[in-house]
This record gives sequence, C-alpha cells and structure tokens, in this order.
Amino acid sequence: MIGQTKKPLREILEFLEGKERVVIWGCGGCASVFGTGGRREVRQLAEALSQHGKEVVAAVGVPPGEFTCHAPSLWERLKGYKEELKACQAVVVLACGDGLQVLQETLEEGFGLSRPVYPGVNTQGLMGGGPVSFQEKCRQCGECLLGEFAGICPLTRCPKGLLNGPCGGAKDGKCEVDRGLDCAWLSIYQRLKVLGKLEGLTRAPLFKDYAKEKRPRSLKVGQEG
Amino acid sequence: MRLDRLFEAGKFVVTVEVEPPKGTRVSEMLERAESLRGLVDAINVTDQQSSVMRLGSLASCHLLKERGIEPVFQLTCRDRNRIALQSDLLSAWALGIENVLCLTGDHVSLGDHPQAKPVFDLDSVSLLWTARRLKEGYDLAGNPLQGSPDFCLGAVVTPEADPLEPQILKMERKIRAGAQFFQTQAVYDPKAYERFTREIEGLKAPILVGIIPLKSAKMARFMNENIAGIKVPDGVIAEMERAKTREERRRKSAEICARIVQAVRPHCQGIHLMPMGWEDLVPEILELAGINP
Ligand code: SF4
Ligand code: SF4
Repeated sequence: MIGQTKKPLREILEFLEGKERVVIWGCGGCASVFGTGGRREVRQLAEALSQHGKEVVAAVGVPPGEFTCHAPSLWERLKGYKEELKACQAVVVLACGDGLQVLQETLEEGFGLSRPVYPGVNTQGLMGGGPVSFQEKCRQCGECLLGEFAGICPLTRCPKGLLNGPCGGAKDGKCEVDRGLDCAWLSIYQRLKVLGKLEGLTRAPLFKDYAKEKRPRSLKVGQEG
Repeated sequence: MRLDRLFEAGKFVVTVEVEPPKGTRVSEMLERAESLRGLVDAINVTDQQSSVMRLGSLASCHLLKERGIEPVFQLTCRDRNRIALQSDLLSAWALGIENVLCLTGDHVSLGDHPQAKPVFDLDSVSLLWTARRLKEGYDLAGNPLQGSPDFCLGAVVTPEADPLEPQILKMERKIRAGAQFFQTQAVYDPKAYERFTREIEGLKAPILVGIIPLKSAKMARFMNENIAGIKVPDGVIAEMERAKTREERRRKSAEICARIVQAVRPHCQGIHLMPMGWEDLVPEILELAGINP
C-alpha cells in the first residue's frame, strides 16, 4: 500500500491563505488504511477548516475500497460534485501524491476546470504491515531482485541499498544508520543460510540497473518488462 | 613504493591514516604527513570520513604524491555515481596515485550534511569490480579505454564482526572482485584476531591490522558501546584508567598499541594506524613495537 502521513494543519492553512471556499477530497484506498484520508479524516479536516473560518463547500469522504488514484471510478464520483468544484477556490486532497495528480488531471480534462489542488498528506512509499504500524518494503526499482535476497529487499530496507553484503556497521543486529532498525542484511544472511543458499553471497557483484528506474514510467495493463 | 610491491618483497607494511582539513588550509595535514616520512610505508587519506564534508581525498593524495609520500586513496560510493567513481579513478592514476582503498562509505545521515542525497550507486564490492575492469582496459559499460590504470586495490574487513560469517563471505566476495589487500577495523584483542585468521585460512590476501591508540578509558567504553566490531577488553580499559595524567595516558596507549602489534605480527602482513589526532604518537608506537622502517 502507499504509506502516508498527515500534513500539519498549519501547512494546509498556509496553502489556503486568501482562499475561502474549499472542497476536501478523500480516498477509500490506502489513505483510509493509513488514517490520512478516510471518511473520518475528511470530516475532521472539514471541522478544523470551518473553525478557521473556511467555507467547506464539499467534504467528500470516499467509501472504503474506492481508490482516488483510479481514474474511472474517480470520474464517476467527480460527476456528482461538479457544482461544488466549480464554486470552490481550492481543493485539498487527502490521498497520496498519485491520487492528487489523477484528480487534478481528471478535473481539467473532464470539466475543463482549473482549480488549485493542495496535498493534505505526505506520501511515504510502498509499505506493508499493519494494522497499526507499517514498514517500507519496496522502493519500486523496476527490476525485482528479491529472488537473490531470500525475499527481503536490501535496496529498500538497508539504508545504503547495498546489494553485495552487509556493511559491517550492524551492532547487536541493529543498523548503523538507525539503531532502531534491524540490519536488513543480517536478516537476508540468516534466511539464505536457512535456505542453504549462502554461496550467492560470494558471487561476482550485482549491479543495479538504474535505467530500469528511469522516471517517469508508464505502462499498459498486462505489459511485460 | 606501492603496497603490492612491498607485500611481494615480504616487508611488514605500516600505513597511517590522515584526514584532510575542513577548508583549504592543507599545511597541517602536510606537516603531519611529513612527520611520518621514512617511518611508514604509505598514508591513507580518508574520503570525507563519517560523511563530514572536507577537502577531497584525491587532491590530498596528489599533494602527498608530489612530495614523494606514498598515498592510499580512499574512495567511497556515498557521493559519486558510477560515472564519477570511474572518472575519479582514472584521474587518480593520471596523477600518479597507485593504491586505492574501495569503501562503501558512511550514510549521509551520520555526518554534517544530513540533508544530502546519498548516492550508493555502487558499493565496496561493485566498486572493486569496476576498478578491476578499468585495469583490464575497459569501463563498466564495456568501452575500451585509451590507456588504463594499474592500481593496487584494497578493501576493509572487520575481524570482530558479530556475526562473523557474513563478514567473511563478503571478504571472499571482495577478493573475487579484485581486492589485493585488506585494512581492518581496530583490533584490541590479539586472540580474537587470531581466531579470525583461522576462519579465513583459505583466503589469500595480505592484511594490515587496524590500530587505534586509545586516548582514555572513556574513549574505549564509548567505542565498545557505539562502534560495531570494536571490542576493547576490560583489562585494557583498566590499564588506561590507571594512567592519570595526559603524559601517562599517551605512554600507556603507545604501550598497548605496541603490545597488540607484536602479538598480531606473526598473523598479518602489516598494520594500519588510525591515530585520530595523535599522529605524533606513531614514532613511539613503532619503536616500542620494534618495527624498523
Ligand atoms: S528489488 Fe526492487 S521491486 Fe523488488 S522489492 Fe526491492 S525495490 Fe521492490
Ligand atoms: S547495518 Fe545493515 S542495514 Fe544498516 S546500512 Fe549496514 S548493511 Fe545496511
């Protein structure tokens, strides 16, 4: 899922300086799981903005399971709020950066509406776990190497993204960069050992192909590569 | 003389680490290096150690080389992608620098510019491999070079890493990638070092054992608590504790270093001193250890 945190209200109020009529748009996908843009958070932000004198012309809580980043379902929902969106001076989006941009494009392409669109969350990356705490597991490198690492991603979970073995800085199993983190490489080593595949750790070094990570990326459904 | 030639000649090699200044005033670094002339075989120049921004290792090595002092160019993957790393390696060779120590480098978050973008396009092992490709006359993309370097390539290893096995696997991987010698994390317990050498019997690469003179018992305790792979035995800490004045501590520190050097000497090909400001203690350590230049 796309991990995310709430932006401080102060920052959102700064965005909205001089803009009185506001639409808040949530997300029933990841944002509802991370408690950043579900129906409850949309309601809470609406209350907070009202208290600061804003007129919230619509506070759109999206039902669980409906993703704001998915353009077809977003468009169906947007159609019901055309007047409010026309009337507002700004939209605050409680969804990841991806959801926000899909919303902005759909607004412009669907309604020909140009409205300032502001993020109400900080997007933190692909995370797994839950229900209360999550860890980043994958940084979407475009060429998955998990088969080499017993299913633990060192690109993401080792702060240095080392591909060829531990750095030697781990102390009591904890990472030298952040003593609160387990050293990803010790986990990889232990799992490879259990799987009887330690010989992989003495092979010719692996190089990451960053061409596979060239941005921006685009793809078609079912595409190979 | 470059380090591989010294190993071939069977010399017990002594290297010392110096740190470039924060700023352009190189005089003190050069004085420190000058004071070691004739006493040590080569001087390692750190590459923005602990991710603290400083004058470059390449330029510093060049200044040493110009003065006839043998440098070991420390090169980390923290700040340069593979294009810059290869370019700096070619530049080093063009400036007459022959020894390179290939390191991954510390994370930027530990230094004085934690907002910097960490690079780590390569790591110590893939950097060694890359440097060896250059030696073979090709860049990493397979393009032929017009003139190629012939480096003596080094790497680091932590003899008291815990667990040790992944460290040894990585050492083996570094040798396969092109490492010709190793410098180690600081050793304080010769017995532990000896155990390590038994574990790596099959691996044939000269090792320079890391020595950091203790400045105080407090420093020893700090390292034990915070630095991976450094284990100062209680007895050594107690010795430092008993030394009261600065002069006593310096003397005791030199004695401890010399004792470690003598104990590990049969099991290694040299030592690598990291005096961290106590460069002036190096002659005394070497003398007490009975190492003649
Ligand atoms: S190797 Fe790449 S795609 Fe696979 S988990 Fe790691 S970052 Fe994600
Ligand atoms: S301690 Fe482990 S996780 Fe942390 S940087 Fe080193 S190898 Fe990576």
